[in-house]
Amino acid sequence: MIISVVKTPRNSDGAQRSSYRQSYRSYVGAVSRLGLTSALTARRLNTSRRAPRAHNITDKVSPEHLAVLVKKEWQLSYVTPLFQFRHTQLKRYSQQLSAFIAAERQGVAVEVEEPQHSFKASFSVVHGMAEAEEDAETILIQVHSKHHFSRRDDPEKCVWSGWLACINGSPEYIRSLPKDFICLPLFGSSGGDPLTSSVKSWFQQTFDCCFGSLEINHTSLQWLGSLWTNCQPESNIQHLKMIWAVPVVPPLQITYTVNPQDAWELWTCVRKDAQVEKEGEEEEEEEEEGIIDIEEVNMFMQELKSHFYRHFKLDLSAGNLVQVSTALGSAKTSGRIKISNSRYMISTLTLLTECALLKMPV
Amino acid sequence: MGDTPRRLLQRLIRRIPAQELKPTLEKWGRLSQAQLQTIDFTQSKWALTGKLGTICEERNWAVKHITELELIYVIDNPNLGMWHTFQLMDPRDNAHTVELLQFKEQFKSNLSELIRNVSVKIKKHTDEAVWIRIAWGDGLSQPNHFKPTYVVHYLQTPYVFVTSLNSKQKPLLSQALVLATSYHAIKDANLSGRKFTAIRDLLMRQYEQVFPRKFHSPLKERNQIVTDPHIEREQAESSANRLQMACEAFGGGKLPQLQSAVYKLETKFRGHNKSMTQREEPIRCVVKFASTNILESLRNCASSGIASTPVTPLLSSIPLKGRNYFVITDNGPGPSQTRQQN
Repeated sequence: MIISVVKTPRNSDGAQRSSYRQSYRSYVGAVSRLGLTSALTARRLNTSRRAPRAHNITDKVSPEHLAVLVKKEWQLSYVTPLFQFRHTQLKRYSQQLSAFIAAERQGVAVEVEEPQHSFKASFSVVHGMAEAEEDAETILIQVHSKHHFSRRDDPEKCVWSGWLACINGSPEYIRSLPKDFICLPLFGSSGGDPLTSSVKSWFQQTFDCCFGSLEINHTSLQWLGSLWTNCQPESNIQHLKMIWAVPVVPPLQITYTVNPQDAWELWTCVRKDAQVEKEGEEEEEEEEEGIIDIEEVNMFMQELKSHFYRHFKLDLSAGNLVQVSTALGSAKTSGRIKISNSRYMISTLTLLTECALLKMPV
Repeated sequence: MGDTPRRLLQRLIRRIPAQELKPTLEKWGRLSQAQLQTIDFTQSKWALTGKLGTICEERNWAVKHITELELIYVIDNPNLGMWHTFQLMDPRDNAHTVELLQFKEQFKSNLSELIRNVSVKIKKHTDEAVWIRIAWGDGLSQPNHFKPTYVVHYLQTPYVFVTSLNSKQKPLLSQALVLATSYHAIKDANLSGRKFTAIRDLLMRQYEQVFPRKFHSPLKERNQIVTDPHIEREQAESSANRLQMACEAFGGGKLPQLQSAVYKLETKFRGHNKSMTQREEPIRCVVKFASTNILESLRNCASSGIASTPVTPLLSSIPLKGRNYFVITDNGPGPSQTRQQN
């Protein structure tokens, strides 16, 4: 008997879902992107962050998982909360997704249990990445391909991988979600577009969620540049490279690469000045070692731009910052991210989780 | 016909686009009109290679004939990769009177003395350029015709353009050139790019350079959208000034298609942060400008106000000095440095 894989969950929760959306909207209010209206919402990018600590993540996450996540370029999307996604049902999801992909490719309904699909999807949990208590565990999805003509022993090639993560997600938001909703707002994919859209369609149909492209705006790029520079004494970032696109005819691209040691010294000087100013304002002497403020990030970037301006008399602010990269990773405004060093993966993903939560329409 | 000429011919036919094949063969001149008529140019390249191969065998042609054809094609289509520029220094007395024949003989004999098994082909193009194709071998092996170096030299100028040269071949070529042209030395001119015509035009200033000394009236904006005489543009004068200064720096009309410029900066910090500005050591950074035509982009930056006018000498040096690689330090100018304006 052929069972159609494409099945929308037809249950009474349908009504609950739409009412959830309505209730959440009123909870949040008419929120602008920066959420400056209500204190409850706090839907804005953090103005201060913890300085990235080198996590000994190799202790917590298995090396196979790390090998998949690190050194690959991922295309990011945000995902709205998943309805009734269970970390315990991964095997069933693997089978369903494999059948779904096969059905999409062949255009006919396909049996779920059939073992000989040419594309095999597998779900796994990446233990050790969740930081906060409310974070759901990261899910890794891989699609392996096996040609019908290849022999049984031929190794399967991984043709697509993706992951869903929530690292240090806003606890108020997660707690505010109704029961049965899991928050995994950050989705990264690497592989061909047809498979990516198949996977997204399956998720959308199975868990009633929504995907959307996650562009990384220039503030987040500046944050990443500064956070990575902050890691220089522990891990050599090798260079701080920033790429601007200037809107002239024909379009001009300016790549500004700073020596890592010099970038680090400028960063320290900027932070020292900022601390002095802060101490002047507040009475107590707080040990603010671990916290970085957005003013420091802005000042750092401004100093770099001034140095550039004094030489070329060209104002980089007239262009758009499109890419920041160091030896620890690279981020592009189009939403492509690469994490080259697992030690700072958690901090980078924390910032990106925040971007995803902010960009979500719900 | 040996294997090498056959393979060379095959590769060459593959490389030449179908519509260019007939004109190139005509320019080559070794096939008579009658023979050219017998070739059906609508066939597939594979068939054409076979037909031409047969003709070559009949006429007993060798590698040197095929390389001649290749050189003719390359002269018209010189975009083979990165071209690097060199400049000859310290001319001897007779440097300015070196003639083509003298140059050819001297260059060939010098290079053959320096390295055995090298194959050199020289051709003078109509615009005074001398094109040289070098296939390098060494003491043990025959010249490799599949990775030739191309050199272009304009007689009576100190400029040499080179592509596909590796570091081992560079000193040999340099020495042969220096001896053949009667100069004392050769150095890197810090100009490189993918489009040969662009870097040649830039270096030899063969493009429309508008360096107005005196304008009777400010330059009019080229795209004047406003037609209603009652509408006045607030900033008409300042934008006309910007446009004029931009054209002074970069040139007025169509600009050579230079694709990138790299500046290696090692200068003291020039931001606002006090502790950094007091630092003695320079900040090291590398800035790269890239575009399909950076001179146009930079001119547009200046005329639109993104870059302040008057244009800084760092940027205007590109057309002025004809280079696109600069090392900027705080010290006085060195051989490959430009003085930093404080």
